Amino acid sequence: MLSYASKRVLIGFLTLLAASVVVFAVLEVVPGDPARLMLGMNATEDAVRTLQEQMGLNQPLITRYLSWLGGLLSGDLGRSYTYSVPVIDLITERVAVSLPLALISLALSTLIAIPVGLFSAARRGSLSDTATMGVAQVGVAIPNFWFALLLVYVFAVTLRLVPAGGFPGWHAGLWPGLKSLILPSIALALPQAAILARITRSALLDVLGEDYIRTARAKGLSRRKVLYRHALRNALIPVLTILGLQFAFLLAGTIIIENVFYLPGLGRLVFQAITQRDLIVVEGVVMVLVATVILVNLLVDLSYAVVDPRLRSRA
Amino acid sequence: MALLEIKNLSLKIGAFQALKRVDLAIDPGEIRALVGESGSGKSMTALSIMKLLPSGAKAEGQIRFNGKDILAASEADMCQLRGDDIGMVFQEPMTALNPVKTIGEQVAEGIRQHTRASRAVAEEQTCAILDRVGLPTSKFPLRRYPHELSGGQRQRVVIAIACALKPKLLIADEPTTALDVVLQAQILELLQSLVDEQKMGLLLISHDLAVVADTAHSITILRHGEVMDNGETTQILTEQTHPYTRQLAQASMHVPDRTSHQHVRSQGSLLSARNLERSYRGSRSGLFARSEDTKAVDDVSFDLQQGQSMALVGRSGCGKSTLARMILALDRPTAGEIKFGNQRIDHLKEDALRPVRQNMQVVFQDPYGSFNPRHKADRLVAEPLYLLDRPLSSSEKRDRIDAALERVGIPRKDRDKYPHEFSGGQRQRLAIARAIITEPKLIVADEPVSALDVSIRAQILDLFADLNGRLGIAYLFITHDLAVARAITDTVMIMSNGKIVERGNTGEVLRNPQSDAGRALVQASPDLHKALARRIGEQG
Amino acid sequence: MNTSTIWRENIAKALSNRSFAIGLIITGLLALIAALSFVWTPYAVGTFDIVGKLKPPSAAHWLGTDHFGRDILSMIMVGSRNSIAVAFVSVVIGAGVGIPLGLWAAARAGVIDEVLMRFNDLIFAFPALLSAVMITAVFGPGAVNAIIAIGIFNIPVFARVARGAALSLWPREYILAARASGKGAARITVEHILPNMANLLVVQATMQFSLGILAEAGLSYVGLGSQPPMPSWGRMLFEAQTMISIAPHMALFPGLAIVTTVLGLNLLGDGLRDVLDPKLWRER
Repeated sequence: MLSYASKRVLIGFLTLLAASVVVFAVLEVVPGDPARLMLGMNATEDAVRTLQEQMGLNQPLITRYLSWLGGLLSGDLGRSYTYSVPVIDLITERVAVSLPLALISLALSTLIAIPVGLFSAARRGSLSDTATMGVAQVGVAIPNFWFALLLVYVFAVTLRLVPAGGFPGWHAGLWPGLKSLILPSIALALPQAAILARITRSALLDVLGEDYIRTARAKGLSRRKVLYRHALRNALIPVLTILGLQFAFLLAGTIIIENVFYLPGLGRLVFQAITQRDLIVVEGVVMVLVATVILVNLLVDLSYAVVDPRLRSRA
Repeated sequence: MALLEIKNLSLKIGAFQALKRVDLAIDPGEIRALVGESGSGKSMTALSIMKLLPSGAKAEGQIRFNGKDILAASEADMCQLRGDDIGMVFQEPMTALNPVKTIGEQVAEGIRQHTRASRAVAEEQTCAILDRVGLPTSKFPLRRYPHELSGGQRQRVVIAIACALKPKLLIADEPTTALDVVLQAQILELLQSLVDEQKMGLLLISHDLAVVADTAHSITILRHGEVMDNGETTQILTEQTHPYTRQLAQASMHVPDRTSHQHVRSQGSLLSARNLERSYRGSRSGLFARSEDTKAVDDVSFDLQQGQSMALVGRSGCGKSTLARMILALDRPTAGEIKFGNQRIDHLKEDALRPVRQNMQVVFQDPYGSFNPRHKADRLVAEPLYLLDRPLSSSEKRDRIDAALERVGIPRKDRDKYPHEFSGGQRQRLAIARAIITEPKLIVADEPVSALDVSIRAQILDLFADLNGRLGIAYLFITHDLAVARAITDTVMIMSNGKIVERGNTGEVLRNPQSDAGRALVQASPDLHKALARRIGEQG
Repeated sequence: MNTSTIWRENIAKALSNRSFAIGLIITGLLALIAALSFVWTPYAVGTFDIVGKLKPPSAAHWLGTDHFGRDILSMIMVGSRNSIAVAFVSVVIGAGVGIPLGLWAAARAGVIDEVLMRFNDLIFAFPALLSAVMITAVFGPGAVNAIIAIGIFNIPVFARVARGAALSLWPREYILAARASGKGAARITVEHILPNMANLLVVQATMQFSLGILAEAGLSYVGLGSQPPMPSWGRMLFEAQTMISIAPHMALFPGLAIVTTVLGLNLLGDGLRDVLDPKLWRER
């Protein structure tokens, strides 16, 4: 167990390091002179020089990378050029919206998908299975931001049940905050749930074809007990893999969905930063998101070992 | 009254008639063997009794178990019977256990399902039955997972699951086919003693008469879903009244005629190995620690003469396949040397190996996996022609393909077929055609007949013998089946734990083995001759 | 049985698969519409008609008009070109780089394999949207960004599928037989490995194509994809957002176009998976 876990942690750490090199290279090396890029064509030489100095652009590349990396490790992501505040402060403020949104959607899609997958697999080939999977097939094809628009039209514009957008802030209380996240999380969760339900069903059906299922049936277990006691846990392995991959999509989806609902999350921050060419903010947000994806994949890898005892004894 | 009585059982799966009017009966305490070749309907008979048939299967007739009409029973009734009054053991122990549950959980599950025993009581019973099947809790704690056990041990767990509640009937579907002969003997002995002890009926399914000859009280022989022969074991085997029974028995004991070809053999060393070793690095057990290296092949030396046929026998995992792959230059030894003719080959680069490969070809075990499913027979057979120094013209190529196909008895018109259009036996003939197309001096054959039905096996052994005689090809036969070694080789090497522990003339060694490993193999090997002799002796 | 009858049988078998048949029809229609848009659309997509703006569907404008009075049907038709082009080129990039990498890793195993897997981990940490954000921040917005970002994300997907399938094929006995016939890793890969995994790759390509359509729509929706005046489904939805209360049809039809296209491709992929050698897929 320990050796598997330590290997995964080491790999996760190295991936993060490599990702930081990529981010640094794309945003600080490729543009040639980031200061000029940020200030635009009309900037005065003086202004450019000041910014170059502020960003430490006159130092050698490796020094710049190392000091940036050192800053990352100590939580210093630099200073936003446009907002004149530390990037880390901007990000913490915005994460308070994006993270709950992503987590609620993930929980919602898992809670819908796994029971639906079980339901369908248990009734393989029946009318209800065909109908459920038909709906799921369509669900997979729906872009979440379009689904979000439809939800806004129905529930906010027509029925006026929830606000069409905006976020009152957590200081306004838990419920008003959560209320404005309801539609966004449903919009994100349902298409994901469709994918996950299909994966769960097919993983279950694969497992139900295994020899050990027949052994369990020969013990006198009913079909239903076999499904819950033997098939589900084995089917979790492919489901977890997809769940990990989906988190990356969910995070990306969060960024897009925030634009539909005017939520002040990381997505809005990064798009504003792009328009204002504030590379330092872009760099910080991308790094935080990449780190989250890597962390989630690490958690998925570690949870394999919980589900599958074979991994615990293998390096 | 019989414990199990099957009358007039017919089974249709879709349009396929799997069983035709099968009759079969088992008394308490009786071991009834159900013997037949692949596709004869043995497994379907077993699954009919359990009512675990694939969807789309329709059974007609009557199955009475303990007075109960199985075909009319509801699913809930069947759940009561399965695992309690009827237990079942399957062929493939490697996949028959749930990999994410401990063996303790899996055995206890059946007990708790039927007896509503408390966790503690169920655990106690689990310990008792695991102990009984040879897995004492002191050495095999209940919290072990299946992957921590070997194939033979896993089969013991499956038997424990099936026998935990002392069923009245045990069904064992080819329980030893995936195991080597020594394990096979152990498992059969275990089943036999459980039957004696619990007075249960046992339906023992096998494809080989020799396997059941010692164990079964009575035998039913099945072919194409129909019962051919049926009766008490001694009578069936000694009288062999039914022609199909005779055919099966003869195929099982078949020895190809090799006497006429003895003169072809010339002297001179063809292949020699000196102090060969192949070790694998230990797996990582910590960030910096490694477990010890394992030696799959350990200090092996031998010589093979031109035209000689040699067997390499041993239990599964003894290193014989690793040795074969090193000889074929598909794997490199970690120490020692291999010479082919006068040339050392173990360190050669792929290009330099080409002339050697022309003279050394291979036949594998699995007639299904040895061909690219997307190529036609002629292209498959012609593959080794790639080794020739100059490319052949298409007519030359055609001639050589035709010649090779003819030698192995495949009609010329079949050259345009894909592998899935051939039967298993025909496919093994194709594999041999591919091996002889470059007219090699040596063929390494890794378990070439162990996946075949006995009657096909006899034919393929004849073909090997014939090619050895006519073309003077030397063989290295890798097998765990001593009957095959006896049938077709002059000399034998017995391998155990990576080492050659005994060698010599095949007949002599197998008649009177000196090493422990050799004795264990010979004792455990199913042998119809011996079984018959014993049966006749018992009869007086 | 000769080759042409086998083909005919396979095609008949394929068409009797409902998913495959429906998917093929939808995808075929889409390709036709995209092709047609080069020579004919009901209205020119560049003409503005402020008087006739925000009109709901009618006989003159089947799917209505947008806030500039442009014909939505015409824009959807022309927009399909953009979606198809971006998704197609991204699949070509992903497959062209990923498949050789995966095959190479499987053939060489050991260190190269390990390096490739770590490289995969790295790319998986950058969802297409993040790559697009970085590229746009440096180079400004454009359709090429979307192609590069989605294409890069496709690379590890194809590499993983190719590697997994190749690893399951390498230990097969027919590969050993080919090695015993003196064939090298490259030749074996071309002759034996690649043909036997072609099914998987075709199915994966279909799936990535449909994901590409979705991703492109998402990127153009947030302004990271193709730019005006080239119509694109994603941006049509973005423009519809502010009009949602007065002209919901502006949001409805481009969305339906995306859903239909993606659904068609997914059905095609599912059908192909069932039709083409389902056994190998399960062994993956």
